[in-house]
Amino acid sequence: MISLQSIAGGKRAVLLLLLFLVVALLLLPESRQESLMVIGRPMATVIAVPLRGMEAANQTIDSLVNRYLALQHMREDNLALRQHIARLQQENARLRETAQATTRLRDLLELQERLPYPTVAAQVIGLDSTNWYRSIVINKGRKNGLAADMGVVTTAGAVGRIVKAYDRFAIVLLLNDLNNAITGLVQRTRDEGIVEGTEKGLARIKYLPLLSTVKVGDQVVTSGLAGGFPRGLPIGNITKIERREAELFLSAEIALDADFAKIEEVLVITAPREGAQLPANPFTFQPAVPVTPAGETR
Amino acid sequence: MKVLGYAWLILLLVPLQVVLVDRISLFGIRPDLPLVAVCLIGLYHGEIDALLAGIAIGFAQDLFSGGVHWGNLCLKPMLGLIAGLASRNVLNLTGGFAFGLILSLSVLSGTVMYLLKAFMGPGESFFLAARGIILPQACYDALVSLALLKLLQRWWASPTPQTALSYE
Repeated sequence: MISLQSIAGGKRAVLLLLLFLVVALLLLPESRQESLMVIGRPMATVIAVPLRGMEAANQTIDSLVNRYLALQHMREDNLALRQHIARLQQENARLRETAQATTRLRDLLELQERLPYPTVAAQVIGLDSTNWYRSIVINKGRKNGLAADMGVVTTAGAVGRIVKAYDRFAIVLLLNDLNNAITGLVQRTRDEGIVEGTEKGLARIKYLPLLSTVKVGDQVVTSGLAGGFPRGLPIGNITKIERREAELFLSAEIALDADFAKIEEVLVITAPREGAQLPANPFTFQPAVPVTPAGETR
Repeated sequence: MKVLGYAWLILLLVPLQVVLVDRISLFGIRPDLPLVAVCLIGLYHGEIDALLAGIAIGFAQDLFSGGVHWGNLCLKPMLGLIAGLASRNVLNLTGGFAFGLILSLSVLSGTVMYLLKAFMGPGESFFLAARGIILPQACYDALVSLALLKLLQRWWASPTPQTALSYE
């Protein structure tokens, strides 16, 4: 309880006066209160300066809080969107893979239909178990009618021959292996030779006649004389002719048609001598519509 | 139990080498996991185990190779035997020793494979083979074996290598 007794005499009088004034102001009629605004307005103007500052500060705080809250939501939205994008990217990659596989398999199926020989389609499941041979492992074997020495082709042409056939898989020695040799034929000049791999993973045709008119760019095909290939399967194009003195034969380097690093599916020719003549250009395919990384077709 | 373990190893190792190891190939060179496994068996379990495992693993490896001769069947047991005998002469199997040993054995294996291939079929330049296959593969094999050795030492509770102390 505040006791006025404790306040000194002068001060007490001032206090009482002020209290009286306050009460008087309260009791003053509304019309008379307007006169107080004479003091009120300048005072309000003065107060308005820090008020505006406070308001600005308040707005800044409000904005910061809102931004923080918005960021919180945005973070969640961002996370959700990122997950969504990742899902879409995965789906996109899967679809692109499927599209490419479909194109490859369609081409292979077309080739299988065009070739007048019985063939077995197989998938590449592995590579040679050592670094010493260029061979692939395919997922078909003796149970599917495969045997050693059968020729293996892709949509680009001949790629190798089976060297080992087991019940459910087989080993295919590729044409670019040094130990592989098949009979080949220069399509334009009809000169025959032996196609074998080189140390650098390319191929070479040997034992061409010395007087052969073979030139760079000539197509080399299988001759069909020996091995598991019928006549006329493309092997590659001649890139360099080697004429050495005191040698009875010519040899030439071949750029192989097939990309041996990217073989995924193959056809194994199970009976090369059966069936009719090879149709014209069985290995030419319509180029697939390229799919851009963004998933749009051009 | 040990036989079962080896059987699992052989069953898994060669498919792993054929199908999956290409994913870790560097410039087209893949580590020879069967070689690393046989050498580690030699170091940890002695020459007899390594010899037997080498025969089985080498045979399985040759099944999946384009080579028509049985080079790995002959080589892998020999490498295991050498690794087993070498482990008898060390007191403590260190990473450096294993690295050096497997590097040497891989170079030896590569050289013998080259000679075997050159003897059986058309020969290629030894310089090209050494630069392109033998030395890079030996380095890769040694690195893989070192990593596996460290993993074995960390994960297996007190693995006891077959060192000179084991024969005392």
